[in-house]
Amino acid sequence: MTQVNWSRVAPLLQRLGSVIGLLLLFIVLSVMSPDFLTTGNLLSVLRQVSINALIAFGMTFVILAGGIDLSVGAILALTGAVTAGLMAAGHGMLLSMGAGLGLGLVLGMVNGALVSWGKVAPFIATLGTMTLLRGLTLVYTQGTPIPVTDTGFALLGGGYLAHLIPLPVVWMFVVFAVCGFLLRGTVFGRHVVAIGGNEEAARLSGVRLPPMKLAIYGLSGLLSAVAGVVLTSRLYSAQATAGAGYELDAIASVVLGGTSLAGGRGWLFGTLVGALLIGFLNNGLNLLGVSSFYQQVVKGIVILIAVLLDRRQ
Amino acid sequence: MRKLHFLAAAAATLLAACSQQGPGESAPSSASTAGGAAPSGTPVVGLALSTQNNPFFVELKNGAESAAKSAGVQLVVVDAQDDPARQISSVEDLIQKHVSVILLNPTDSSALAGAVQSAQRANIPVITLDRGVDGAEVASHIASDNIAGGKMAADFLAKQLDGKGNIIELQGVAGTSAARERGKGFDDAIAATGMKIVAQQPANFDRAQGLSVSENLLQAHGDVQAIFAQNDEMALGAVQALAGKNKKVLVVGFDGTPDGKAAVQNGGMAATVAQQPEEIGKLGVETAKKLIDKQPVEKTIAVPLKLLTKE
Amino acid sequence: MAAPLIRMHDIHKAFGPVKVLEGVDFELLPGEVHALMGENGAGKSTLMKILTGIYAPDSGDIQVDGKAASIASPADAEKHGIAIIHQELNLIPSLSIADNLFLGREVHRFGLLDRKAMATRAKEWLARVGMEKLDPGTLVERLSVGRQQMVEIARALGQNARVLIMDEPTAALTESETATLFQLIRELRGQGTGIVYVSHRMEEIFALCDRISVLRDGQFVGTRDVPGLAFDEVVKMMVGRTLDARFPTRTPNIGSVRLKVEHVTGGMVKDVSFDLHAGEVLGVAGLLGAGRTELARLLFGLDKIDSGTVTLEGSVVTPTSPNEAIHAGFGFVTEDRKAQGLVLDLSLRENVSLPRVPARAGLVDRPAEKKQTRGLIDALKIRTRDMELDVRALSGGNQQKVVLAKWLALKPRVLILDEPTRGVDVGGKAEIYHIINQLAEQGVAILMISSELPEVLAMSDRILVMHEGRVTALLDAHGATQETVMTAATGGK
Repeated sequence: MTQVNWSRVAPLLQRLGSVIGLLLLFIVLSVMSPDFLTTGNLLSVLRQVSINALIAFGMTFVILAGGIDLSVGAILALTGAVTAGLMAAGHGMLLSMGAGLGLGLVLGMVNGALVSWGKVAPFIATLGTMTLLRGLTLVYTQGTPIPVTDTGFALLGGGYLAHLIPLPVVWMFVVFAVCGFLLRGTVFGRHVVAIGGNEEAARLSGVRLPPMKLAIYGLSGLLSAVAGVVLTSRLYSAQATAGAGYELDAIASVVLGGTSLAGGRGWLFGTLVGALLIGFLNNGLNLLGVSSFYQQVVKGIVILIAVLLDRRQ
Repeated sequence: MRKLHFLAAAAATLLAACSQQGPGESAPSSASTAGGAAPSGTPVVGLALSTQNNPFFVELKNGAESAAKSAGVQLVVVDAQDDPARQISSVEDLIQKHVSVILLNPTDSSALAGAVQSAQRANIPVITLDRGVDGAEVASHIASDNIAGGKMAADFLAKQLDGKGNIIELQGVAGTSAARERGKGFDDAIAATGMKIVAQQPANFDRAQGLSVSENLLQAHGDVQAIFAQNDEMALGAVQALAGKNKKVLVVGFDGTPDGKAAVQNGGMAATVAQQPEEIGKLGVETAKKLIDKQPVEKTIAVPLKLLTKE
Repeated sequence: MAAPLIRMHDIHKAFGPVKVLEGVDFELLPGEVHALMGENGAGKSTLMKILTGIYAPDSGDIQVDGKAASIASPADAEKHGIAIIHQELNLIPSLSIADNLFLGREVHRFGLLDRKAMATRAKEWLARVGMEKLDPGTLVERLSVGRQQMVEIARALGQNARVLIMDEPTAALTESETATLFQLIRELRGQGTGIVYVSHRMEEIFALCDRISVLRDGQFVGTRDVPGLAFDEVVKMMVGRTLDARFPTRTPNIGSVRLKVEHVTGGMVKDVSFDLHAGEVLGVAGLLGAGRTELARLLFGLDKIDSGTVTLEGSVVTPTSPNEAIHAGFGFVTEDRKAQGLVLDLSLRENVSLPRVPARAGLVDRPAEKKQTRGLIDALKIRTRDMELDVRALSGGNQQKVVLAKWLALKPRVLILDEPTRGVDVGGKAEIYHIINQLAEQGVAILMISSELPEVLAMSDRILVMHEGRVTALLDAHGATQETVMTAATGGK
């Protein structure tokens, strides 16, 4: 019957839509800018995309489960600052990073607890933690950047694999592979999609919501912290204001990738494509010398088109 | 267990393969000429701005653009919207575009060292504008002397108030060198007088925040004779906060933007420490042109500041 | 004879390559209650959507009062006096009755709402549906479903509707509310209103309707006068064949006590006690709001039990979450499969394995999962091309089978069924009855909540009747009649 066809074809089209969009952009930029299609530039874009992609992978789980996480940028800033701060205080790199990542996980779980036990709408809960954590970051850093001197740590965000591939790109693909497996191959991933598709049905099927939400938001927090550590390493310093507005880029990547904001429908590969789409758009417009004012206009239009596609479903 | 060994070995190999250097950065490639100038046609200069959400940097950009026109240089402008990570990305884009020189107006003094080094490894010289970059050598640094400017403002107030009075200070974005240096110049000079800074609070170089922070501080501190804002935008916010209040408070700004100058003329602001952003942009392009033409350039170029008052 | 209110002739409609309606005729006379029947997917709702201007037909013509009419939008339909009362009511719960009645056509003077005029007129409208006692200022969320429906009918009549389309109007109504509704329908018929009555409930249709039109697979099968029409004849028209039996029989194989519920109290459920044996189907009858679903929710750990004990196979279980209940051996087929039973955007396979995904150490065992799903598709005769298809695409009957399959995969000790055949067509119902019988024969203890008395009487071994949260009777199904059950359900002795 009609519904049968459309239920399968429409999401497929929409999924392919983002891939086709990326390919089109790729071709257009290759033709228009001689500097675009070079190994150096492509790797450089991948590196630029990596921070956003890391956050967006976690955001994909949250959005798939029918939630939203606005606190990712703030978690990035605080965990980066704590990592840099501990190192500045003379602690080892591994301990400092472990503390930063652990903090990210815990902060994410706090979001999960607010949403599940506190029964606060995710938008409001994470808006609250976002503001709170931004404030705590300013308190912790006193508003001044915390410089990083450890050269080993600087390698995490600034180094290369085999003199070619920037390490942040490596982290991005490693996390992508792990998250992709988590989503497609594990019971956890299955339950994430089920919660987003129909929370009540999932609960009645015995899916325990509070631990799931703790895990989902915890994952988002953890990946934000990974992004925070990599960014801090890349900047050689932790910035109090780092990651401002990153939540919106991450959400945009997820939605551009064809994941429904209503939850229950989406894929991780789409998020990668969405992040790349934004990254190539920024890069291409810079290479073409388009004014940054217009860059934002273009980005906004692209996001609106993606959201309209989402609405059509 | 065997699996673990394999993983460990693989991880070790990967770690060994990691390095600080990326592709084509290990040695200057033979193809690239010094300065990385485009092989033919007009040379291209990149300008990486911290933000265009502030008239100061727009003026800086305008100065650079008109200078580029007369010097026969193509100028590519990228904007970081005050995000250091975004600025690194846009500097990388300029590197990929093989511009001849990068004019960098850093969002932050401490975060851009890596980007500067990347540019230098690609044989692209970097000139910093307005703010410096810690931890990296640049071909030239062009800026106003912010510490001297802060002192100018303090001296002006000391003269106007006979070395006595309470002052509120509106600070810029915490962590920026402009905020640090202007604050330091001002605070040190004030400390040497009988005047007192009763409150300091960041308003992030923003007019709206300048307004609300001033309102709050004026509520909290009744006896205030002067407000020093680390830029004109915040100073204009303070002027609005004072509007309608029957109170004589001297407002001193910094930058000398058109709005700021107008406010000094109509008496809203007592003075502004005027920078010459157009001059910074113009000098940046001219210095870049010198580098392209392989002429020597000064390590630091100080752009003079001027205290503007109504007279 | 009066000109027909509505005449639809040779209506065709296709969505892409799929023909949904192929040459359908439909006629509605003034003062007639006309049943529109057909299995799910036969094209009834598409036809009604064409009549109410939601879809445009590909070809065919529509006449209203004998004149050709074009109904291109819901506003056109309204202009022609055609209104639809949806199965899911279209009222805004947080607004008052009057606000709902005048939503979108508020009475105002100089841009200000004229509340007084609206309240007066709302009273008049409510009186037309026999609800003059209702205060128009009452919030809709405070009304029972039956009264909400009356408000909706009042709204339609207030807009001068002469054609009322009712889609499964009694699905959520109690017996007395149904009686009130039927009385109103008969009154409206007497005033010359034409009523299209869409329902699966044969008893109602035979009691209420003047004529029946049947659709099957988008084709028009025929229109018959109800007087003199045999029940089997209608079923044959709908399914294209004669069904063997409406309720398949089962050889009772009742074992020892599996579930013992003693003095359970919680929420509106008060002091409920009963035993449920292995292999037994215990029907739970009662009016809407009698506490039947609430009892099921207590047993399944969805709501908190205040006092009393639940003993499953000799050990006391007091589930505090569905997860615990499932581990204890309960399964629960909820009454609202779309809202509570299924994740519509997940595939059949993923839905079936939701309660317990075949997995090792948290990793999904895909081959085992496929094998399990395949087995259940075969066992329950779920009609689908592909287990990877979203369950959204399945018919109501097949969706319900997926919900059953979900629980069968777990091999529950006690299976609670809440309205297992609601919204399922005749053919699908028989198949679900068959599955219930099979499960009971395999020794599963089944608690079956149902509002359809014939279903409860035919399928159960014993019948538990509830009224206002309490058990008023525990009847042996063999001796029970609709009357004895209804007497207990209304609190009589």
